[in-house]
Amino acid sequence: MLKKRIDIAMALIIFSAALLLTRLWYLQIYRGDEYAKLSEINRIRIQEIAAPRGNILDRNGQPIITNRPRFNVVWSREDAPNPDAVIKDLARILNEDISVLLDRIRAGTENPRYMPTRLKEDIDWETLAAIENKHLSLPGVRIEVMPSRDYLYGDFASHFVGYLGEISPAELAQSRYAKYQSGDQIGKQGVEKIFEEYLKGEKGRNYLEVDVHGFEQRQMQLQDPYPGNDLQLTLDIELQRAAEEAMADKAGAVVVMEVNTGNLLVMCSTPPLHLQEFVGGISSTAWNKLLNNPLNPLLNKTIQGQYPPGSTFKIVTALAAISEGVITPDASFFCGGALNFGNRRYGCWKKGGHGTVDFQRALIESCDVYFYSVGMRLGVDNIAKYATSLGMGRKSGIEIEHEKAGIIPSSAWKQQRYKQKWQDGETLSVAIGQGYVLTTPLQVCRMTAAVVNGGTLYRPQIVHSITAPDGKILKTFAPTSEGKILGSAHSLALIKEALVGVVNSPGGTAKVVKLPDVLIGGKTGTAQVVGLTHVEGMSEKNIPYKYRDHAWFTSFAPAEKPEIAVTVLVEHGQHGGSAAGPVARAVYKRYFELKNGIPKETAETPPIAKDEKEE
Amino acid sequence: MLRFDRRLLLNFDWVLIVAVFVVALIGLANIYSSTHLYTKVGTPLYIRELTYYLMGAGIALLIVSIDYRVLLTLNYPLYIAMILLLLFALAFGKTIGGAQRWIDLGFFRLQPSEPAKLVLVITLASYYYRKETGKGFTLLDLVVPALLTGVPFILIAKQPDLGTGLLLGFIFASMTLFVKLRWTTLATLLCGGLSAIPIAWKFFLKPYQRQRVETFLNPENDPLGTGYHIIQSKIAVGSGLIFGKGFMQGTQGQLDFLPERHTDFAFSVWAEEWGFMGSVVLLLCYFFMILWGLNIAISARDKFGVLLAFGVVSLIFWQAFINLAMVMGLLPVVGVPLPLFSYGGSSLLTNLAGLGLLMNIRMRRYMGTS
Repeated sequence: MLKKRIDIAMALIIFSAALLLTRLWYLQIYRGDEYAKLSEINRIRIQEIAAPRGNILDRNGQPIITNRPRFNVVWSREDAPNPDAVIKDLARILNEDISVLLDRIRAGTENPRYMPTRLKEDIDWETLAAIENKHLSLPGVRIEVMPSRDYLYGDFASHFVGYLGEISPAELAQSRYAKYQSGDQIGKQGVEKIFEEYLKGEKGRNYLEVDVHGFEQRQMQLQDPYPGNDLQLTLDIELQRAAEEAMADKAGAVVVMEVNTGNLLVMCSTPPLHLQEFVGGISSTAWNKLLNNPLNPLLNKTIQGQYPPGSTFKIVTALAAISEGVITPDASFFCGGALNFGNRRYGCWKKGGHGTVDFQRALIESCDVYFYSVGMRLGVDNIAKYATSLGMGRKSGIEIEHEKAGIIPSSAWKQQRYKQKWQDGETLSVAIGQGYVLTTPLQVCRMTAAVVNGGTLYRPQIVHSITAPDGKILKTFAPTSEGKILGSAHSLALIKEALVGVVNSPGGTAKVVKLPDVLIGGKTGTAQVVGLTHVEGMSEKNIPYKYRDHAWFTSFAPAEKPEIAVTVLVEHGQHGGSAAGPVARAVYKRYFELKNGIPKETAETPPIAKDEKEE
Repeated sequence: MLRFDRRLLLNFDWVLIVAVFVVALIGLANIYSSTHLYTKVGTPLYIRELTYYLMGAGIALLIVSIDYRVLLTLNYPLYIAMILLLLFALAFGKTIGGAQRWIDLGFFRLQPSEPAKLVLVITLASYYYRKETGKGFTLLDLVVPALLTGVPFILIAKQPDLGTGLLLGFIFASMTLFVKLRWTTLATLLCGGLSAIPIAWKFFLKPYQRQRVETFLNPENDPLGTGYHIIQSKIAVGSGLIFGKGFMQGTQGQLDFLPERHTDFAFSVWAEEWGFMGSVVLLLCYFFMILWGLNIAISARDKFGVLLAFGVVSLIFWQAFINLAMVMGLLPVVGVPLPLFSYGGSSLLTNLAGLGLLMNIRMRRYMGTS
C-alpha cells in the first residue's frame, strides 16, 4: 500500500524533473540566442564621442574656423559623500551663486543616476586649473571635454560660414539627417550647413560595460572618432578683413570676385552676425534683438539684399545700346537737366544739366538724360534681354542657400505680374536702374566681371576644395562658365574704357577710388529708396535714415588686364562715390599690397570737391 | 541516550553524503562567484555559508546519533517552541524588506519560519503515525492536522512571507495525501480546495502579493517594476546557452542585473555561468537526492520512519521545485530558497537537519521497533 503511494510520488517527482529540464532546454537552447542577445544589450552602453569637425580655411589654406576643446564642469551624485560642502566650494571656484548650481542639480535628478549633471559650460583655463588643483577635495566633480568651434577671426564672413546648433526635432525628421540623434550639433546656416556631410566626420564609439545602475565597469572597445574634412573657401582672409574694417560703421555689402574664375574673394555683409552668440543655442532675447535691428544683421545682403542697381545698371543699358546699334559711340544727346516724356518730367541728377554728352561722357559723368534717350530707343525688352544674359534677375547658382533672384522687368513680366501693359515711361526708369529693377550686390559684381573679362559669365563660387584629414583632396570646385554674354567685343571695350574714365578722368564720379599705381575702372550708383516727393526740398542731412538713397560702386582692376571685380553697396549711404568708393579703394589697396608684396601708401585720398556734387 | 550501535556505522548512507557534498561544493562556489565583487567589508559570504555548513553538519551528526523515535515524544514541545519563536519574530523581529522575519541572536539572525517547516513535518508525521487506523482518515480526523498547520501558516503569512506559508500548505497536502484518506474525504477536500482559491485571492492576499501573481502571468506588462525579476532571471538562465559564460563571467549576475542573486536567484547565476550542461548536472543531483530520499522512506523500519522520511523529502522537493520553477519563469516570484544552494543560515541548517533525519532513518532501517 505504502509502496504504491511512494511509486506515485516517485512518478510525480520524475515528471516535475522532466518539466524543469524541458524548461531549461527551452530557455537555454531553443531560445538561448535571443536571451544571449538581451543580456548583451543589458550590459553594454555605447557612448558616442563627438568627432572634431573639419576646419574651414581661406583660399591660401589659412584656418578661419577650427576646433578647440570646451571644458564643462559636471557632477556625479554617486561619487560624493558630502555633496553640500563640495557644492559650496565649487560655487566659490566657479564664481556662481550656490542656488544656481543647486537648481541645475535638481533639474538633473530626473536623469538616470549614472548620468552626470552639467553644472557650468565652457569654463576658462584659470577656472579649469583651480578645479584640477582642488581635485581631491571635490569628489563627484569632473571635467568633461567637448570639441567646440573656435572662430579665429571673430565674425569673419559670418553670414557665409554660418554657425552650429543642436539638431531640432523638425530636422531630425528630415531624411538628410537620418543618421543623427537628438543632441547632435549640426551646421545651421552657411557652408557649415551646406557642407555638413563633409565637415561632420565620424563619431567615435566607446563600448562600456555597465552594471544595472548604469555605472561603468570597464571599457570593452574604443572606436576613435574620425575628424571631418577640411573645407577650403575661395575667400581671402586679408581681403575680407579689409572689407569688413572698411564697412565697420556701415550697413551693406562688399563682393569681390576673380573676374576670370568666378571665385569670390570677399563676401562681406554688415552688420555681421555675432557667431559666439549662437554657440550652444542663441537666447530668445538676443534673437529678438537681431530681428528688430533696423540694420537687419540677419540678412545676408550680398545675396539676399535686393536693391535697385541705380546708375551701375547704366553699364547694362550701354552694352545693349551699342550692341543693338541704337546709338553709335559718337552720337551725342543734349542734357538740359531733364527730359520731358508724356506728361512727366524725368530729371537728371545734375539739375543744371550736362550739356552735349557723348557715350563716354555719359557713362563717366553718369548723365541720366542720355540714358533716358537710349532706353527709349532700346525698349524695355532689349534691356531685359541683356540684363538677363549678364546674370541679373535670376539666381547665380552660388552654393549658399536662400539666394534672391532680383527683378529684371520686361513687358511680359509686367503682364504676368500686374496684368498690365508696359508703359514707355517706365522704360526710362529701367534704363537708369530704377523702377522695378532689383539686383543683389553679387549680381552687380558678376555683371561687372563678365563685362570686363571679355564677356564670359562665371558661376560665383565660394568653396575652393574639400580635403580629407589625410590630405587627400576629395573635391575641387573648378571655375564654371555659363557661356558668353550678349554684346559685341567692341562694345565691351568701349564700356571698359569709359569705366576707367569714371575713376580717372576729371569729371568722373569716382575719383575718390583712384590708386597711384593701379588703374581702376568702375561705376557709381545711387539707388532711390522712395520717390522724390518724400524727400523733396530736404537737405541731405535732414532726410531720415530709412529714406536715404543706397550708395553703389562696382569696379574692376587692373584696367589693362582685369583680375578682380569689387562691388560695394552701402545701405542709405546716399552717394556711390563718397560712401561706397572708399570701401572699394581699401579693398584694392590691400589686394595689390598682398599681390606685390610691398605696402605702397603714397597718395592721399583726393579731396572731394565741395561744389561738385557727384552721384 | 547515546546508545551507539556498531551497526549504525555500517549502515551509514554514503550515497546521501556524497550527493549532499557535491551540491554543497557547487553551492559554495556559486555563492563565491555571485558575491566576491560586492562583499567589501566583513566576512565573505561564502566563508559564512561554509561556517553554516559546518554547524549544520554538527547538528546533523547530533540528530543521527539519536534514534528518530525520540521525536514521537519531543514533537509537541518542539511545536510549541516553534509557535513561540514565530510569535516572537512577529512581535520583536527584525524588519527586512518590509517583512518581520528575523530574530537577532547576536551572532546569528534566525529566520524562525525555516525551522518551522521541519517542525511541521515532524508534528504531522507524529500525528498521522499515532492516528493511523487502517480504515483511512475521515474529514473530522483532518481537523487537528489542519489546525496544526494553520497556526504557523497564519503566523508566517502575517510576516508577510507567503512563499513559506504556502510551502507549509504543500507539505500538509503531500503528507495528508500520502496517508490513507477515505474517498469521501478526498473528494470533499478537492472541491473545498478549488473553491477556496478565489476566496483567498480576494480576501487573504495582500495587494503586492496579488501583483506578483499578475506580473507572473504577464511579466512584460511591467518590465521595470515587479516583472523585472522574472525577466532578468530568464535572461540570465537563457543566455547561459549550452556551456555557460564561465565561472565568475556571468554578466547578468556579476553586473547586478539579477536581483537576490546569492539567495533566491542563486540558480540563475549557476545556469548563466555553467549553461545547460551545468544546470542539468545540478538538477540531476537534486532529483537523485529526492528519489534517494523516497528510497529511504520505503526502507524505513517503521511507519513513523516512512512518514517522517516522506515529509522531509516533500519539504526538500517542494522548496527545490518552487524555487527552480520560479527562477525559470514558471511560477510567480515567491521567497522560497533552493535548499543547500541559496545563501542563508536558517534555511541551510533546517535542510541539513532534515537530511540528518533521513540519514537517521536510513541507518536504523534494520533495527527492531524496540
